[in-house]
Formats: sequence, structure tokens, C-alpha cells
Amino acid sequence: MSDATWKPGACSIVGIGATDFSKASGRSPLTLAAQASRAALADAGIDPRQVDGIVRCDMDLVSAPALADSLGVADLTYWGEAGPGGSGPAAMVGQAVAAVQAGLATTVVVFRSLNGRSGNRYGLVGERGATGGDGSYEEFFLPYGMQTAGQFFAVAARRYAHEHGLSIDGLAHGLGSIALASRAHANRNPDAQFFQRTMTRDDYLASRMLADPLRLFDFCLESDGAAAVVVTTTERARDLAGSAVPILSVAQGTGHGVQPGQMFPALLRPSITSWPSAAAAPTLFGRAGISAGDVDVAQVYDCFTITVLIQLEDYGFVAPGQAAHLAESDLSVGGLLPLNTSGGHLSEAYIHGMNHVLEGVRQVRGTSTNQVEGAEISFVTSAPPPGASALVLGADR
Amino acid sequence: MTDPQAAPLLPVTDDVDTGEFFAAAARGELAIRVCGECRVDLHLPRENCPRCGAFTREWRTVGPTGTLYSWTVVEHQVHPAYPVPYTVVLVELDDAKDVRLLGRIDGRPALEIGQPMQAWFEQIGDVTLPQWRPTSSQEENA
Ligand SMILES: [Zn+2]
Repeated sequence: MSDATWKPGACSIVGIGATDFSKASGRSPLTLAAQASRAALADAGIDPRQVDGIVRCDMDLVSAPALADSLGVADLTYWGEAGPGGSGPAAMVGQAVAAVQAGLATTVVVFRSLNGRSGNRYGLVGERGATGGDGSYEEFFLPYGMQTAGQFFAVAARRYAHEHGLSIDGLAHGLGSIALASRAHANRNPDAQFFQRTMTRDDYLASRMLADPLRLFDFCLESDGAAAVVVTTTERARDLAGSAVPILSVAQGTGHGVQPGQMFPALLRPSITSWPSAAAAPTLFGRAGISAGDVDVAQVYDCFTITVLIQLEDYGFVAPGQAAHLAESDLSVGGLLPLNTSGGHLSEAYIHGMNHVLEGVRQVRGTSTNQVEGAEISFVTSAPPPGASALVLGADR
Repeated sequence: MTDPQAAPLLPVTDDVDTGEFFAAAARGELAIRVCGECRVDLHLPRENCPRCGAFTREWRTVGPTGTLYSWTVVEHQVHPAYPVPYTVVLVELDDAKDVRLLGRIDGRPALEIGQPMQAWFEQIGDVTLPQWRPTSSQEENA
């Protein structure tokens, strides 16, 4: 799919920054956002007062003007948001590119900040009256005990096994391979919450079943923390002190038949074993002028292990039903497809997809703690089910 | 963690788009929103038709049978009124193949994707909730 208006590499990520990742930050989301953003700006060699654009996630508790104030920004000429939720980070970077390319801003901070463990946790349904209505469609799900993302993805996982002729044990083997690869990478990432906490396949299989067929170690780590990147033109990046990473492509997609409402209604889509990432894939690779086979290292949104299997198929790394087999092959830094090399959501931290963008940048800079030798094409996804977005980053050589 | 005093989550029954589904359930019927122009089944129910663009509302009564599309056994307690283990089933309707409804079954029933399922109507206070169980066990209990 050619796209004449997209200019590969016209904009770059020039700085990355993050807070520590924890179960209890003891700080407000605004403090975390400011800390990560200042770190990203320092990495880029940009004075925070020069920022004129901010892009946030539509689920973040921190507004763009509030962060601008915290950063001492002189004047914010552009602010935007993307989502929903984990679908956001790559799309948010895309929005920064759009703003810069359109001349609406020159220096855009893209951030995600949350106390995802100590603050508002996902899936906990509070006390209230009748549930649903007003376009939420929760009335068809919450009364039936379908109340968390893990339960939702468990239904998808079982259907996935059925459609592809996998036994539940075979499914567990594929899912476990994803969890093990992520954990092994986290074991060598000092910033990861599971740094030095090793896991064997027996440990994985022995972990508590939370929503059958998904176990504890199929779930990501609810985390407190923030991560941010800075986007500007590649031309301007040449004058900056930091290391620039050209954005070769960014894409968003929903596909057809998504259903109104948020996550749970996706169980009514024509297929629950392929997600909007399938729609984003041809746009993404077309804009970059590459195919999945050209990718050197992948950071794939992993709120749950099954999410990774489905996306590897949606993005064309393997045929439908084959991701479990790919997962059994080598996903380490020397392997066929080095995957989630920071540990990802499963073993580094759940910063709602933004920590994947940071690791994607590190890989083409050559600064990851699990560095893929000579990585030039870095692939990052932000995930389904309501919508998907993804990035291709290149090495600045 | 299970609190026998905790109230289950009940659906709103007067929403402009979805209320008729629960009104039909109160009559012991499964009703699916259908486009008034092109007649396509629309679930989740809303008034505007994605296929033809019409904004007309009609409802169609469908049979209380379906096939099991997928399920999960919930083992981790989340809401105090929903003691674990319980099973959430996703059922494809025999009379409306594009429509799937959820149901909740206590415990860990033996299930198989594709098996026939039967609807029943659970009364919780003023609200009627369509539920599903395997056809065979429904017959045994009859
Ligand atoms: Zn129509």
C-alpha cells in the first residue's frame, strides 16, 4: 500500500525518559509525568521551556496544560490525545509527527503516566446502581461476571486455541514461551520490576489460574510510573545534542465491525482471534516500505500473553495459528525474532504501551540492556482490541 | 472475600438503545434489534445501521437456543457478589448467527465449543437477565 503523503523519517524521536517502575510510587501522576518528561528532554538536550506541543493518552489523569505548567513551558501551541488506553502510545507519537509536519508545533512531548497499581486499578467495579447504558454497553457484560480485561482475553484465548486446533496444553506452551522470553529479558534489565527474578516453565505452569486458560504469569504487572518521548523534525534533530531515531512509519487501525462501547463489546466482533492490528499492518509496513521480515527487533504490546500471539499473526510475522510455534523458537536477542527486550508489560512494567516505545528507541540506538547486535529496524505496537497503532523506527546511520 | 450481602451488578433497563432487550427478557423472550430498512441484525443494539445508514428501530424475537462460542472459568475473585469459581459463556444464537450473548454458570462445568446451549431467564429483584446453560443439563433439570 503506497502512501504518497507520508514522509518516512521526516520526524525523529530525539529523547526518551522514564521514572522508576514500582507498585507504589508515592507520587502523583502529574509528578511522574513531569519527571519522565524532564528526563526525556534532558536526553534530547532540549530546554523544557522550548516545548510547544504535548500529546497525552485519553485515559491519563494528567492534562496537557497541567504538564506544560509543570515543565515551565512558555506557550503550548498544540495539544492532542489518542487512545483508547493501550492503543495509544504509537498513535500518540503519530499525532506528534502530524503536529510537527503541519507546522502546529516544533517540539512535542508524548507521555503516559499512571499509578496503575497504587491508584486506580483496572477492572475493579465500584459500588453503584444499575450498570451500563449511555453507549457503554456494559449492561451486556458486567452483570454476567465479565468484569476484567483478563477475563475478556481468556475467552479470546480459548477461542484462539479452538480455531487453530491447539489443545489447551498446547496453548499454554505457546503462552508460556512468551512469558518466559519476557522474563528472561527482564532478568537483565535493572529497571525491570522482575530484574533478577527468574522463572522456569514449571514456575509458569504452577502459577495460579486467574481466568482459565490464563494464569497469573499470563497477566502483565500493574505498575506505577511514567514514560515520555520527545518528537521533532529530523532536520532539527541534527542540531541537538542527543541521539535521534527516525520514525520510518506510524499507523493506526480499527478494522470493520469493531462494535460500539469499549473493550468488552469486541467479543461481538466477527472474529475475536484477530484484532485491529490486522488493519494497521499494511498501512504501517507500506509507509515504511518494508515487510515484517525486515524487522530486527519487536516490542509487542503484551497486557496478556495471548495478545502477543494474536498480534504476531495480525502483523504477518507468521500465518494465523502459527504464533505458538514461533514462540517456541528463539525470541531472545540472538534469535529469530527478538521480542520485548526490556521485559515488556509482563516483566518490566505496565506503562500502558509507552515503555515499549522507549525500548524500541534503545534498540536502534544500541543502548538496550538486551541489545540486538546491529538492529536497524525496530517495531513497536500499541494494542487492541478497540483500536491498534504501531511504529517502525530506524537507526540513524 | 466473597460477601453474601453484596448486591450483584444489574443492568440498566431503560436505556434508549438497549432497554428493549431487557423489557423483552422480562416477558421471557430474547429480542434482537434489527434495522428497520435493510433488516440486518444489530447487536449490540443501536439505532443507526452501519450497513444502510437508517435510523429506525425494530426488534425481532429469536429462539432461545445457541451454540457455545467460547468461555472462561473465573478463578480469581474480583467482585464480592460473584463467588469463584464461575464460568462466563459466550453463545452464538441459532436464529441470529452474527449475535453473541453472555451467560454465567456457577462452578466449572464441562463444556465444549460448538455444543448446544439453551437460554433461561434469571429473575433478580425487578430485573430479568437472560442466561445460558448447556442444553443437556437443562433437559436433565426439566
Ligand atoms: Zn440497515
